[in-house]
Amino acid sequence: MSALTVRGVHSSYGRVEVLRGIDLDIVDGTTTAIVGPSGCGKTTLLRVIAGFERPAPGSVAIGNRQVCGPGVWVPPHRRGIGYVAQDGALFPHLTVAQNIAFGLPRAERRSRARIAELLELVNLDPALAGRRPDQLSGGQQQRVSLARAVAPRPGLVLLDEPFSALDAGLRTSTRAAVAAALAERGVTTLLVTHDQSEALSFADQVAVMRAGLLTQIGPPRQIYEQPVDLDTAAFVGDAVVLAGVLAGSVAECALGSVPVQQPAPRPGSGSVLLRPEQIELSSGPGGADDAGVSGTVTGLDYYGHDAMVRIRLDGPGADVISLRHTGIDAPARGAAVRLRVRGTARWYPAAG
Amino acid sequence: MRSNKRWVLIAPVAATALLATGCGAGSDDGGSAGSGTITVYNAQHESLTQAWADAFTKESGIKVVLRNGDDFEMANQIKQEGSASPADVFLTENSPAMTVVENAGLFADVEDATLDQVPPQYQPSTGKWVGIAARSTVFVYNTGKLTEAQLPASLMDLADDSWKGRWGASPAGADFQAIVSAMRELKGAAATQAWLAKMKTNAEPYKGNSAVLKAVNAGQLDGGVIYHYYWAGDQAKTKENSKNTKLHYFGNQDPGAFVSLSGGGVLKSSKHAAQAQQFLKFVTGKAGQQVLQTGTSYEYPVGSGVAANAALKPLSELGAPDIDEAKLNGPEVVDMMTEAGIL
Amino acid sequence: MPATLTPAARPAARPRAGRPGGGRGRSRRAPAGVLLAAVVVAVFSLVPLGYVLAQTVATGWDQAYALLVRPRVGELLRHTLGLVACTVTGSVLLGVSAAWLVERTDLPLRRLWAVLFALPLAVPAFVTSYGWVSLYPSIEGLRGAALITTAAYFPFVYLPVAAVLRRLDPALEESARSLGHSPARVLAGVVLPQLRVAIGGGALLVGLHLLAEYGALQMIRYSTFTTAIMEQYQSTFNGAAATMLAAVLVSLCLLLITVEVLLRGRGRYARLGSGAARPARPVRLERATGPALLASAAVCALAIGVPFVSVARWLAHGGRGLWTAPELLPALLSTLVLGGYAAVLTAAVALPVAWLAVRHRSWGSTVLERCTYLASAMPGIVVALAFVTVAIRYARPVYQSTLLLVTAYALLFLPRAMVSLRAGIEQVPPELDEAAQALGSSPLRLFGRVTLPLLAPALGAGAALVFMAVVTELTATLLLAPTGTRTLATQFWSASSAIDYAGAAPYALLMIVLSMPVSWFLLVQSHRMAGR
Repeated sequence: MSALTVRGVHSSYGRVEVLRGIDLDIVDGTTTAIVGPSGCGKTTLLRVIAGFERPAPGSVAIGNRQVCGPGVWVPPHRRGIGYVAQDGALFPHLTVAQNIAFGLPRAERRSRARIAELLELVNLDPALAGRRPDQLSGGQQQRVSLARAVAPRPGLVLLDEPFSALDAGLRTSTRAAVAAALAERGVTTLLVTHDQSEALSFADQVAVMRAGLLTQIGPPRQIYEQPVDLDTAAFVGDAVVLAGVLAGSVAECALGSVPVQQPAPRPGSGSVLLRPEQIELSSGPGGADDAGVSGTVTGLDYYGHDAMVRIRLDGPGADVISLRHTGIDAPARGAAVRLRVRGTARWYPAAG
Repeated sequence: MRSNKRWVLIAPVAATALLATGCGAGSDDGGSAGSGTITVYNAQHESLTQAWADAFTKESGIKVVLRNGDDFEMANQIKQEGSASPADVFLTENSPAMTVVENAGLFADVEDATLDQVPPQYQPSTGKWVGIAARSTVFVYNTGKLTEAQLPASLMDLADDSWKGRWGASPAGADFQAIVSAMRELKGAAATQAWLAKMKTNAEPYKGNSAVLKAVNAGQLDGGVIYHYYWAGDQAKTKENSKNTKLHYFGNQDPGAFVSLSGGGVLKSSKHAAQAQQFLKFVTGKAGQQVLQTGTSYEYPVGSGVAANAALKPLSELGAPDIDEAKLNGPEVVDMMTEAGIL
Repeated sequence: MPATLTPAARPAARPRAGRPGGGRGRSRRAPAGVLLAAVVVAVFSLVPLGYVLAQTVATGWDQAYALLVRPRVGELLRHTLGLVACTVTGSVLLGVSAAWLVERTDLPLRRLWAVLFALPLAVPAFVTSYGWVSLYPSIEGLRGAALITTAAYFPFVYLPVAAVLRRLDPALEESARSLGHSPARVLAGVVLPQLRVAIGGGALLVGLHLLAEYGALQMIRYSTFTTAIMEQYQSTFNGAAATMLAAVLVSLCLLLITVEVLLRGRGRYARLGSGAARPARPVRLERATGPALLASAAVCALAIGVPFVSVARWLAHGGRGLWTAPELLPALLSTLVLGGYAAVLTAAVALPVAWLAVRHRSWGSTVLERCTYLASAMPGIVVALAFVTVAIRYARPVYQSTLLLVTAYALLFLPRAMVSLRAGIEQVPPELDEAAQALGSSPLRLFGRVTLPLLAPALGAGAALVFMAVVTELTATLLLAPTGTRTLATQFWSASSAIDYAGAAPYALLMIVLSMPVSWFLLVQSHRMAGR
């Protein structure tokens, strides 16, 4: 059963078209993440679903109830959607308990048990119930915001970049707490983020948005391993892209002959996509008959737990690629290394 | 926040309560509630008219509500309000303002009984209003700064260059404007305009005759042109604004001996004409005029044969010029003063 | 040539793109009711200006010219402009120095001085004048007028400058010092420009109050346009001459506003980058402490000592009998009622305009907002004249009614409520509205549950400011009050005009007492706005 159905949503701001036709389905009880660069329109889509903006045209249905469409408009306060804003948007004049109870019917608002239960859900100390929002940390505020959104048992919860305003350390722990809470309740969730690792780890379904359109929708693994185009590929993870020529199911590129995922219908030139974890690095130039290609390290950025290694490949094109390598045994600058490809690459034929 | 919520609830309730009491405290309807109240547009001194009002209310039971202002301000206000004016009675300090309203056709005829109480020289022949009090122009001077020999013989002398910076008056007030209108009548427009031009350079303007008196007393001025009762009143109290001063009466039918008539009239638009006429009759009657004789205003009574306060120089000895009040043109004087740059 | 593409953004502290000040920046269509209310308010605000223009046209070009181009007008212009120049300069110098002493030095008893410097706000200017005239009856001329008005108005510059100084980021000054600038150059080049807006706003307030000032100047016989208009009014009610003078006065006000807007410029002095601003280290006065204390004491003596001492003396002189005057209690009650009425009405009326200006910003809402400032820039006497004329000609039932008077008050003091409300509404971001709606509150309910409670302090502040203004308002009340209604201000004025200074003293004291809590409140507000 589809908890959310979005069809043909367009939205403009002045003369700029922000959403250019969005279609999306979310299955009940699952989590979907919409990921895309700043300005691609993902927050607008969220606001359209919540009812804060009107699409022109487009339709939105929540469950089996149409809330937006030709001749239909349900105002936001009647849609039964939970909404967690980027900065929490807690009511400063109310306590934590009052904030959480805000969306509850009158009779339940005073119920201490409910409030405590909700606080526990988001992994917060129930003693915080009497505090005011400005006495909480950023992460705590986000969790309270989530508890507040979930309290009235909405059919769908929308999260608008909820972790981007937090410091790095808080981000992971808050994210984990939020994911756990939502999973426990089995709440259908739609998360919007620009952080691809967040999207991949958080969601059951990932939708990549670019310039007002959803370029690909699918499970995280599929998005990562089988991105539909180079831009999507680059957005969801590190990518090594090399020019290559395809013949059959093998592509010739600067890293040698690399098997590709999809046998192409016709041979030709194009691009080969590899993920850095597919490229094995070993020290020493190796012999000519060893598998892989050789190269020289031209630069190294050391981050402690890992390092970014820039390697100039031996060979006619003298391509330079960048790889991540663990911090242990990171090769030094100028060292000769050998690179070998594991697994299959993805092939993108050249345009035209 | 709980307390904020309470505040938000209490404030409108409190405001409503305030409004409810407010409707009582401030009279929205201008005193025309109930048949036992009349509205007097009063340009006379508030204390004097209040004394009249209190005595009248005591005698007749009719309440009197005063709206206080200045002669011409109220005269023009009545003109502008026209037939819907809330005023029942108009009292002034000087007659030109009465003429303004009379010429606009806004006065009702004064009852004969009232007119009979006041000698003919203290009322216009038209019978549209009646004199209620009188005051004499005087030159008050600081005894330490001027000897009797140095006093001006005529009001016109003050235009002389030797008087530059030494005298003052209250030119924005209707009192002084009445004096100038008398000068206009007696000496002609040209001479008056010339005198006003010199006044601009010679005289210090003050706000109110009391201020002039105080300044003369303090020695800031050698002398000032005011009405007699300011001096008399101060002398009767603490003398703190007049102990260094004396009065000089010009006499000789000089413009400076002008006796100005305070007037009272009933508005045609009045909705309580009978009570208004009753009030005017009271003011010009024995009881009302005796307020002038025995009270603290020190103006001259004009009606019912009541004599002036013993402390005052009798009216008959003032040598006042004979002037037809109807000819005193207030607005023209204001224009002349505006042209001279005084206003 | 790099052939590697890395993901667009590593998780890092990301500034909120496209959301300046918390708002979405998109001015959605405003609710029709709010728009209508705002338009009605703006139209009312234009009545005084319209009156002046209409009367000018009706007077005819020849007569208008004759009335405008005469020596008296030149004299008034000289007096008025001279006073404005002296007082604004004096207020700025005094206000900035006082603010600097209190906020940036180690002057002893700084908290006390902070309160004392703001206290002149509680004393109406005409009471300050009354105090001076009582002690030095011969005070007069430009010097006297400038002394009295500077003493009365410098807090208008002091308060905003002090608030800004408190909030200033010392990092800017420290950077300038590290680049080799001397302290004086830092003061002139870094601190003063940041104070520009506050100084400009304060100077504008001083100028506008001066142009509208009647009582204080009349008492020392310093003639300006407003005193001349009042005199003309007393002579002709609302004749052509009065209107012409009013036209000049209004032009001067508009000129002042324009100058202030131009001087304000487009510079932005907000803090860039993240991180909290630390409070600045105070400058050590050392040997200058003595003179600074002396100067501060002198200013307080001149500004509040003189009026307080005079009032006390007159009260002692007049004795108990003063307090049993029959008009005292009715005047007090009327003032309280009128003030309360006006405070509530003004706050209610300012709300739609402020709401539009903040939440649905567009050129239309800006125009509406500017209209409301127009009426307040005009002196009370011009507004009152306009209302009297309009009421007599077109709205008889409200002529001489409390409603008309309170409406005039609302127009005159609308910006005071607006300024507070705007600040308050800006603290209530639309995100809260959306969060409340998502939680099931209809727009109406969320106004009561979220918006109004959050706006309550701002509403209160605005209402309090209006109340204080009404307590000390003189000229409009003189012209518009219903027959029989007396306020503390009008009673004070009629007593002091009759040189009954003792009789005026109880009214002066009551006005000061009523204004004090509000001055205190203003001081606390400006502290709070600076975040301390």
